[in-house]
Amino acid sequence: MSQWFVSHLILIQGTFISLLLALSIQVPLRAGVFSFAGIGSYALGAYTAAILTIRLQVAPVIAIGAGVLLAAVVGYLLALLVARLSGLYLGMATIAFALFLGVAATNGGELTGGPTGLFGAISTLTTAHVIAVTLVVVLLLAAGERGAYGRRVDAVREDPQLAVTLGIDVNRVRRRVFVVSGALGATAGGMYTLLRTTVSPETIGFHLVVTALTMIIVGGSLSWAGAAIGALIFTWLPTVLQFVGEWQLLVYGLLVTAAAVYVPGGILGLLQSGWRRYQRSRRPAVRPGAAAAAAGEHEAPLATLGTPGEVRS
Amino acid sequence: MLEIADLHVRYATAEAVRGVSLGAEPGRVTLVLGANGAGKTSTLRAAAGLVPVHAGHVRLEGRDITRRAPHKVVRDGMVLVPEGRRVFAPLTVEENLVLGGYTASRDRSRQVLARVYEMFPILRERRGGPAGLLSGGEQQMLAFGRALMSSPRVILLDEPSMGLAPTMVESVLGAVRDMADAGIAVLLVEQNADMGMEVADSVVAMARGEVVFAGAAAEARSNASVLRAFLGEAALVG
Repeated sequence: MSQWFVSHLILIQGTFISLLLALSIQVPLRAGVFSFAGIGSYALGAYTAAILTIRLQVAPVIAIGAGVLLAAVVGYLLALLVARLSGLYLGMATIAFALFLGVAATNGGELTGGPTGLFGAISTLTTAHVIAVTLVVVLLLAAGERGAYGRRVDAVREDPQLAVTLGIDVNRVRRRVFVVSGALGATAGGMYTLLRTTVSPETIGFHLVVTALTMIIVGGSLSWAGAAIGALIFTWLPTVLQFVGEWQLLVYGLLVTAAAVYVPGGILGLLQSGWRRYQRSRRPAVRPGAAAAAAGEHEAPLATLGTPGEVRS
Repeated sequence: MLEIADLHVRYATAEAVRGVSLGAEPGRVTLVLGANGAGKTSTLRAAAGLVPVHAGHVRLEGRDITRRAPHKVVRDGMVLVPEGRRVFAPLTVEENLVLGGYTASRDRSRQVLARVYEMFPILRERRGGPAGLLSGGEQQMLAFGRALMSSPRVILLDEPSMGLAPTMVESVLGAVRDMADAGIAVLLVEQNADMGMEVADSVVAMARGEVVFAGAAAEARSNASVLRAFLGEAALVG
C-alpha cells in the first residue's frame, strides 16, 4: 500500500488538486452561473503562494491563505462587474479574466518571474495536508448541497426569475458562489505551486479551463460528487491509456462528446437515475401514477394541458 | 392595501403602461382584463419590482415600495405568481412549497404548510414526487400554495387559468376566490373575462396601456357590451 502510495504520489496529489479546481467551476455551475473565474483564482493563488514563500518565507498556511483571501475578494468584485451577464457571455468574460492573469504573469517582471516563472517556493506542505484540506472542503460543500440552502441554490439555477418572486436574493447567491469559487481555485493553485515549488505562466494557462470543464461535463455538474468522479477519471486516465499512445487526446474527445450528448447529467446523473430505478424495482406499485410518470418526464403535464389558450389569443 | 398610482412602464421601443391607477383590497378579488399587449402583465411585474417603473407610485399598506428590489417586496407582504405555472420541476412538491416560505420563520412555515395542504389536498398527496410530474392544473395549485407560504397580504396572479382545460379553470378560479375569502387582497390578471368575472369583486379593463373601465363586478357584468367594445371581441371569448 505505502509502496503504491509513494510511486503514485504525483497522481494522488493531482487528483485532489484537480478536484479542488473542478469544484471551483462546479460550485457556480450548480447555481446556474457559467463562470470560469475559478481558473483565474487558481493563478492568483498560485502566484501569491509562490511570491510569499520565496520572498518572505512565510508558513504555507499563510502563503496559501493570503491567496485564498485575495481571490475571494477579487471574486466578489468580479461578481459585481459581471452581474448583468449570464450564460455564454459570462463564460467568455470569466475566461478573459483567467487569460488576462496569464498575460499579467508573463509581463510581471521580477515579481512574477516573467515567462520563466518562479522557482524555489520550498515549504513544509505535504500530500497529507492537501488531502485533509480537500476533505474538509468536500464536507462543507456536501453539507451546503443539503437542506434549505441547497434547495435555494437549486431554485436559483432552475429559474432565477421565479426564485426572485419567492423572496430569494438571486444576486447575493451569485456573489456568494463567485467568492467560494475564487477561494477554491486559489486553494488549488496555492497548494499545487507549493507541492511543485514552482509556477510559470504555462501552468496557469488555458488548458486548466479545458481540464476543469472536461471533468465536470463527464462527472456531472450538479454535485461535488460529479467533480470528484471527473477528477478521478481524468487524472488517472493517462496511465490507463498509455497503450493507445498518441491517440489519447482522441479518446478524451470522444469521452467528452459522448458525455455531453448522451448523459447531460454526467456519470453522476447516470448513477443517480440508475439508483432510483433500482429502488423503484425493489418496491413496486408505490403509486399507480409513478410508473407512467417515470416513463416520460414531462408527458403527464402536457397531456392535461389542452388547447383553449390558443383559441383565446 | 395595494395602491398603484399613475404607473408608467417603458421598454426600449414602447410605452407598455401609461398612467395606470388601480388597487387591491383585503378579501376582494380585483380582476384586470385586457387583450394581449394591453399592459396587464407589465403593470403586475412593475408593481412587484420585476421591471423598472418609469414614473408613478406603488404603495403597500401606505408604504411606498416603488422601485424596491423584487425579493424584498415578498418580505413586505406581496407576492407575484408569474404566468405559465412555473414550478421547480426537479424538486419535490413539498420542496417547492418550502421554498415559498423562504422569508418566513421555520415554525411559521410549518404552520402555513399545514394550511396549504388543507386548502389543496392534492398537493399533500403528491408532496414527495417531483413537481414536474404534476398536471397543469396541479402545477397551478402548487404555484398558488408556494405563494401562500410567505403569508402574503397581497397576491398578484398573472393569468393563472392560461392553457388549462375548462374544468381545471373552474377549480383554479375557485382557489382564487378562497384566497380572497381568507382575507388576502387579490389582483387577478385574466384574459378569460367571463370566468374571471364570476370570482371578481371589482373589474379594471385595460387597453393600450391605459385603464378604460373600472367598477364593481356587477356593473361590469351589466355593461358587458360596453366592455366588449373597449377590449375588442377577442378578449371576451372565453
